[in-house]
Amino acid sequence: MRRRMEWKVLLRSMGIVLMAEGVLMALCMVPAWHFADGTLGAVGICSAFTLAVGALLWLLCRRHTVAEDRRMSYLTVVAMWVVLPLFATLPFLATGATGSFTVAWFEAMSGVTSTGATVFADVAALPSSVLLWRSMTQWFGGFGVVLLVLALSPRLGINKYALYTAETSGADNSGRRAVRTTVTVRRTLGVYLALTAAFIVALWVSGMQMWDAVNLTFTNISSGGFSVNSDSIASLTPLQQYILTGAMLLSGVNFSLLYLLFTLRWRQIGHKVDQLRFYLVLCLLAVAFVVGVLHWQGGYGWEEALRLGTVQTVSALTTTGSVAADTTQWWTPAVFLLLMLSVCGGMAGSTSGGMKVMRVLILLRNARSIMRNRLHPRVVNPVRLNGSPVSNHITNNVMVIFMVYGFTLMAGVMVLMLCGIDATESIGATVGCLTGYGPGLGASGGFGSYAAFTPAAMWFCSFLMLLGRLECMTVLVLFLPGFWRR
Amino acid sequence: MNYRLVARIAGVLLLVMAVALTAPLAVSLHCGDGAQYGLALSAVVMLAGGLLLRNIVGRGAEYAMEARESFWITAVAWIAVPLCGSVPYLFTGVLSTFTDAAFESFSGFTTTGSSVVARPEEIPRGVLLWRAITQWMGGLGLILFVVALLKRLNRGSLQLYAAEFSGTQQRKLHPHISKSVSRMWRIYTLITVVLVVLLAAAGNGWLDAVCLALSTVSTGGFMTAQYGLSGYSDLTLAILTVFMFLSGVNVALLYNLFTLRWRRLRVNHEFALYTGLFLFAAASCAVAFAASGNGVGESVRYSLFHIASTLSTCGFYTDGPSHWPLWTSAVTFLLMLCGASAGSTGGGIKLRRLMTLSIYLRNYLTRMVHPHVVFSVKIDHKVVAGDYVNKIFGFVFLYICFIIGGAFMLTFSGQGIADAFCYAAANISNLGPSPLINSLGANLDYAMLPSLAKWTLMALMLAGRLEIFALLAIVSPSYWRSRR
Repeated sequence: MRRRMEWKVLLRSMGIVLMAEGVLMALCMVPAWHFADGTLGAVGICSAFTLAVGALLWLLCRRHTVAEDRRMSYLTVVAMWVVLPLFATLPFLATGATGSFTVAWFEAMSGVTSTGATVFADVAALPSSVLLWRSMTQWFGGFGVVLLVLALSPRLGINKYALYTAETSGADNSGRRAVRTTVTVRRTLGVYLALTAAFIVALWVSGMQMWDAVNLTFTNISSGGFSVNSDSIASLTPLQQYILTGAMLLSGVNFSLLYLLFTLRWRQIGHKVDQLRFYLVLCLLAVAFVVGVLHWQGGYGWEEALRLGTVQTVSALTTTGSVAADTTQWWTPAVFLLLMLSVCGGMAGSTSGGMKVMRVLILLRNARSIMRNRLHPRVVNPVRLNGSPVSNHITNNVMVIFMVYGFTLMAGVMVLMLCGIDATESIGATVGCLTGYGPGLGASGGFGSYAAFTPAAMWFCSFLMLLGRLECMTVLVLFLPGFWRR
Repeated sequence: MNYRLVARIAGVLLLVMAVALTAPLAVSLHCGDGAQYGLALSAVVMLAGGLLLRNIVGRGAEYAMEARESFWITAVAWIAVPLCGSVPYLFTGVLSTFTDAAFESFSGFTTTGSSVVARPEEIPRGVLLWRAITQWMGGLGLILFVVALLKRLNRGSLQLYAAEFSGTQQRKLHPHISKSVSRMWRIYTLITVVLVVLLAAAGNGWLDAVCLALSTVSTGGFMTAQYGLSGYSDLTLAILTVFMFLSGVNVALLYNLFTLRWRRLRVNHEFALYTGLFLFAAASCAVAFAASGNGVGESVRYSLFHIASTLSTCGFYTDGPSHWPLWTSAVTFLLMLCGASAGSTGGGIKLRRLMTLSIYLRNYLTRMVHPHVVFSVKIDHKVVAGDYVNKIFGFVFLYICFIIGGAFMLTFSGQGIADAFCYAAANISNLGPSPLINSLGANLDYAMLPSLAKWTLMALMLAGRLEIFALLAIVSPSYWRSRR
């Protein structure tokens, strides 16, 4: 049965989201006023404009609360991730941080998708309000504005489950059991806010300025990776770097797991521990390898090797992209491993990007099961996750996402090369943007920036970020010929 | 485990190689290129080894096997035979280290065509022929030799067949497997002979014609001169283009085509895709060539030749235009991973699998909008079963894992990340050398690679040729755990 597109429902959610964005933008007036860098008025106007547009949309369409059509959920999600960065460009342009819309769009998209790729070679020169805005976009983008909307407005009306799966789609079967999505989302948001507060305090206690503490917490807890310093997190004390590593590590953990963990419901965790175990083991092995390489091959002392190795490995696995050392200078196998870790990504249902370890785990087990089946054709050998069998249907779906992801990576590298970027840097930039890691290889890697990219390359990279954040499928479905047919 | 049978089959394969070595030996004696003693010695060693294994160790073997034996035989055939095939390179002194000789031999038997011989035109003629012969033997598959020769295997031969041609669910040519296999061999030989005659008629020397033909029909890609096939006439290249295209087609389809069994052809979507992809890619590359300043006729010829060479994973190249447009490199990279049709001599992931994937993808997207619609994956109007789709997906996943793992190993021996991926992809897809990939940033010079890299590439070639599972099966712990 086909229905007409219920556009007004989309516009209504857009209005709510924009109002939220406007409020957050207004918060950026605080540093502008405190540091008195002359951007107070510009940011105020941007905020007012965003709020006004949002309020107008909401007022016009506020009665259209219920959409029955699944198509609308996909469309809403994609539209949000286009409209949000669109309005997020305003502070960059209005404060004169950049004159080019392309640059502003790239930076805004990188923020909202919590990627962390930056075009500004010297971020320290930016006005404080813009710096806070960058961090803020990551903070709310990282968590998924969609979840935010759900929490704020229980009766938003869009098929909530569909919307929820579109955002953190695919492999996370723990979401299926949560019939009352709204409750789940509220709890998740609670965890997120608590974590943010805790890390701000922890960093502040460790001797950091409040300004830095807030910004770095915002960008690291959301696995974003922007920084207020040009050298990212390299100039922090070791203790502060370890604290931020903790924040990154937690940002890669499934939020419902975190909730169970913090509310001490240990027994329920036992049922979903597979993914967590794989995540931690993978992390430990990778850290051991990188630390070993740094010590024996790179000539670092043990303390430094351990610290930098841990920070960079966790940063890559959770696709955060905070940089404590110029990894592009490391031995190639270590660089390669970090690249692959960010493709792997954190856990499903976390703020991190990449493929998600859940999917990788399912695919590995599926491959093992197929192999066993070849050797012992009569043995029944299902793929198991958390003790219960996973049907072929689900593994096939995961596989399709993997294939699309892989193909996008390959095609991305080709397109960037056609834009005139050399092979290694194309690989780095594609992985960096699609997975949400951020830094690439070469000039865009390490402490560098994407400033040297041509506008075409920048637009393509920001498209990759969108694809990566929405895990390709939500965007691809819009290109299905049947999608727009009535 | 039926070790006697394994030994017997290994012996048979050694004897086959000893017989095959007589041809290079005859050429060497005729040309007097100095390789005759080395080749004769190799033949004698293989003869002795073969007789020992077949008639003494493998004496009175029972012709009974299960899945385990078939994997074991596959692995022995594909590891032991290429290792023995390296002997002539060593004995004739063409290559001095064991790693180099093994690399050349593995590259030959897996029809990859990556070569450590810097100047093929300077090595003895006999050895040149031996290189081509290894490719021809590997083209249809060593196991098919066994199946064709050991008629008594019966049921076992089906399992062997499945172990080598894993996971594409082919319709057999004949209900009886050994009949089916002998038909495949006949059509394969026929095409080779036709190609040799055509090449000779186009004015090439007999030895050149034979070497090129053997490397073409097997989609191997060993070339006879340092700078690719630049020295050959346009007519020769045109003939090669046609035959490279044909060798990427399912052998069963070719059999039905050439024996005029039109009714059996029916619909074949894979062939349609293969042709379409070929034409589309060739057209786009021709435009790219022409845009970078080549003549129109020249551009069309270059692009047809190179797309045929890439899509069939043959790996021939000509010196060509001095500047390769980036677009052609990108197309080459994608096409070589796609590879040829299932059941052909080519490598790569195989179009049939990619078709399954893309149909499944379309169904998936539609299901996102209409969750209650039930779909099936249909190819050639037949439903592909769900768990079968799952196996195909598992294969593709492992294939990509092998590329990543191989590239990772290559970075240890000093390759950059882009180069490492190019090396790994070119060798697992059994394409081998390609100047197109060079312009992607990699300078594929195999002779300069360290040993670790060479052995990694050999493993990749083998994984690509055996379609991974047979290789992985015998290294998996569960293979060894339950002994019966």
